[in-house]
Amino acid sequence: MHSQLYPFAAVIGQEELKHALLLNAVNPRIGGVVIRGEKGTAKSTTVRALGKLLPPVDESAPEGEERSRVITLPLNATEDMVAGGIDFHCTMRDGCRVFQPGLLARADKGVLYIDEVNLLDDHIVDLVLDAAASGENRVEREGISFCHPASFVLVGTMNPEEGELRPQLLDRFGFCVEVSAEHDAEKRVEMMLCRESFDEDREAFIASYGNENERIAGKILAARRMLPAVRMPSHLRGFISELCRSNNVAGHRADLVIEQAARATAAYRGSSVVEVDDITAVASLALSHRRRDPVPPSPPPEPPRSRERQNQDEQPEQDRGNEEREQAGPDERQDDGGQDSPDGRSGPEERSSENRTDEQQQKDPEQSEDGDDADEAALPEQVFEIAAPFKVRPISSPKDRAMRRGSGKRSRSRVSQKQGRYTKSTMKRRNNDIALDATLRAAAPFQRHRENLNDMAVILHDEDIREKIREKRLGNLLIFVVDASGSMGAKGRMAASKGAVMSLLIDAYQKRDKLAMVSFRKDSATVNLPVTSSVELAAKLLREMPVGGRTPFSAGLVKGYEIARNHLLKEPDARPMIIMVTDGKANKALGDRKPLEEVFDLSLKIAGEGRIRFLVVDTEEPGLVNFGLARKIAGMLQAEYFKIDDLQADTLLNIVKNTTS
Amino acid sequence: MKKQYTYPFSAIVGQEQMKLALLLNIINPTLSGVLIRGEKGTAKSTAVRALADILPEIDVISAVPFNLAPDEDPDVIRECFAVSGETLPAEKTPAVEKHKVRVVELPVGATEDRVVGTLDLEHALKAGEKRIEPGLLAQAHRGILYVDEVNLLDDHVVDVLLDSAAMGVNTIEREGVSFAHPSRFTLVGTMNPEEGELRPQLLDRFGLCVHIEGITDPDERVEVMERRFAFEEDPEAFCRRWSGESEMLVERIRKARELYPSVSVSRENLMAIANYCLEVGVDGHRGDIIIMKTAKTLAAYDGRALVEKEDIDRAAMLALPHRIRRQPLQDIVMDVGSVLKNKAFERVSG
Repeated sequence: MHSQLYPFAAVIGQEELKHALLLNAVNPRIGGVVIRGEKGTAKSTTVRALGKLLPPVDESAPEGEERSRVITLPLNATEDMVAGGIDFHCTMRDGCRVFQPGLLARADKGVLYIDEVNLLDDHIVDLVLDAAASGENRVEREGISFCHPASFVLVGTMNPEEGELRPQLLDRFGFCVEVSAEHDAEKRVEMMLCRESFDEDREAFIASYGNENERIAGKILAARRMLPAVRMPSHLRGFISELCRSNNVAGHRADLVIEQAARATAAYRGSSVVEVDDITAVASLALSHRRRDPVPPSPPPEPPRSRERQNQDEQPEQDRGNEEREQAGPDERQDDGGQDSPDGRSGPEERSSENRTDEQQQKDPEQSEDGDDADEAALPEQVFEIAAPFKVRPISSPKDRAMRRGSGKRSRSRVSQKQGRYTKSTMKRRNNDIALDATLRAAAPFQRHRENLNDMAVILHDEDIREKIREKRLGNLLIFVVDASGSMGAKGRMAASKGAVMSLLIDAYQKRDKLAMVSFRKDSATVNLPVTSSVELAAKLLREMPVGGRTPFSAGLVKGYEIARNHLLKEPDARPMIIMVTDGKANKALGDRKPLEEVFDLSLKIAGEGRIRFLVVDTEEPGLVNFGLARKIAGMLQAEYFKIDDLQADTLLNIVKNTTS
Repeated sequence: MKKQYTYPFSAIVGQEQMKLALLLNIINPTLSGVLIRGEKGTAKSTAVRALADILPEIDVISAVPFNLAPDEDPDVIRECFAVSGETLPAEKTPAVEKHKVRVVELPVGATEDRVVGTLDLEHALKAGEKRIEPGLLAQAHRGILYVDEVNLLDDHVVDVLLDSAAMGVNTIEREGVSFAHPSRFTLVGTMNPEEGELRPQLLDRFGLCVHIEGITDPDERVEVMERRFAFEEDPEAFCRRWSGESEMLVERIRKARELYPSVSVSRENLMAIANYCLEVGVDGHRGDIIIMKTAKTLAAYDGRALVEKEDIDRAAMLALPHRIRRQPLQDIVMDVGSVLKNKAFERVSG
């Protein structure tokens, strides 16, 4: 089946990707490639085709047999599949423990390919990266202790829309290549023709590129032989370190990667001395995902109508404000807006000037006049833009003992499916997910007394069988309860709040949560979105959500609670989270009591339910007079409490946290 | 057992785009499937199930449940016989039978085991031999895999589908025991977009995408009711009445399949496809390739050996809706023509 792969030489365009892969084939110590980019850009095709070009592991091995060694790691791989486990066949027959190698062993001296590496379970990623870094796979589980060489080129692809890789994982990949579709129509035509003739007659097509493929394979082999002799002049080492320093790269890996890559480039050229050009040719491949600023390594794709303003910290925002004031008067800015306006682009520009803090507005009277008169509390009904979304800090439910099914990536849970990490074994039979080690241990004491019927070394009875208990992350139900009252419209807090909700929505998509949305304003709360997994619909509703009127906080709280409770009736083990986005200024009650009193009372009652978790996102303007009502309510709900800015994942902080934990 | 009648494909009223997309996939399986988006009760499932009636016949090795072609890799055949507990006949040519291309339905609640197949580990432990229970992916090999409400499919089942769609191979693996068998299928999915969108990778796997709505023409609606009623009254007579039409369609498909390899596209038209995709902004290159294949299939379906500009326009309507680049969390564009017009307008207005 492998002989039918599309040939490497026939891949059109994607020069950078091909170059990166070839260098890794020459020198596996570069540390692999992560390929970021949109779907359908020949990522997988190119990687799989690389197998044909690799030199044989054992040069005396027969041609062909040993050469197609791109091992694909499927997303549903389990730990034993990847790292290896007990070979039950030999164990049962011969009665001694035999190690059965997994994917990592098969990938040794070849390529390990992970499609959508960002969707792979964390514990599998860790396992693979450990092996990639150390060049060996050490198995210490289920009573086996084993170690075998596993030196492979790790290639992963990812589509950033589906969530980013953790930065320290990204760093483990030697190179990062961004791929995009070809812009040249001629080349696209070539691609169509190639693909069609490949589909029509695969063998003939592959044969027609045989020579070219052989030529590249020969070059790789020659370069590999040359590699140990390639020298790096010492002044060029200085150049590399300067390059890394000026690009503000974290750690030393980039230096090492560039050095290895430059040596590979020289060898591929057929030269035994590295030159400056060899270094500059590979620098961007090694630096693009490690550069810390000014450009973040992984900007998420942004909607066109947003500005980064909201997610910058105070300082640059203020700077930029000052700059603008100096450079452009209000009139000029108006003009700019006029030109852009057909698609409504001037909107957020004006809005974000409203979003300034009080302090800035006082310092900056010109600017505040330029914006709308957003200060009025009693605003007419309005629809606000959504401020730029940001990456949300991790939010999850605590672990418990309940068994669940499903998918997603938010909260850890025990699962009743054959996926996830094997944590312990049980005698309870549920799904035939047999735990081999525990089963053998259970059977061991009785072996002497059992009758051997079918010539096996170990005799198993039904009562010996143990099953695995596994653990993985699952999605939650997130219920957004959004305050859309007039007070939220003041000073454009709504834009920022919508930005926060949008960020949470993107996060919810990536973690595969279900969601529901309630908004409250005027006299009542409405369920805008019943429980669904359509994040698109939620985003659309959010965009169109109008603001104005009083704050019937209790109504919103009760509606959100009802959704959670109904969901719990259907799925008693679910872990719903209610996310209240509000400033807490309740002024409309459900009953005859004072609105705030009612809210406090309800909060205490609802918090007693226990199975529902609350999150309060406080949207109150940090100013001179703070009511802190949202915080008080959060306390009563036993909720996690965030200000909008606290919700943001601080990437650097996370790096520190994740590496120290 | 009484014969189960399915509603004949040719008796479906309206929904021309959907019917066309399905037919094109039968003629050319490399189009890799159709995604049908639309509300409930618009004959989506009826149409897919009705395909069984008009699908061509293929040669299959009859002894093992893996839908193997007689010219499959001998190693693969041997392995498949071994795990099914069958012995491969010594004369090396296992018995072959003809059967129609299958429509295999994947229920939304299906577990990974059911889809991939299972390895009976307990049997393996006790008796010391591999035994495989093949899953839906084995059944669907060389056929059509139909997923109703594909957007509600569990994420890990989607992963499995993507893996085998990409490689054409399905791997069953447990505790170091693994078994792989070929699994190449045409993926047909239906969904109601209000209940959530598909993951981009899965979306891209569908060659074509059609959007369907309830029929608005009152006469046609009456026609729908009448035919449905007639079918339920006497399915046998109804199918007999339509069998002429069905046979014509089968014949047309057969001819188109024969003609397809000799259909050619002028370089000028290929440039038109590339420019079209660049113009509307499509992710990746799969869009170009699918448009070309669709246009060729359309020409073959019409009995022509040369692709015309009109084929390309029609193909783009089917191949691009789900590929046009969009912002995160935005709806899918259904009208490809309008995107082009908007872009042109933006350019003119500066």
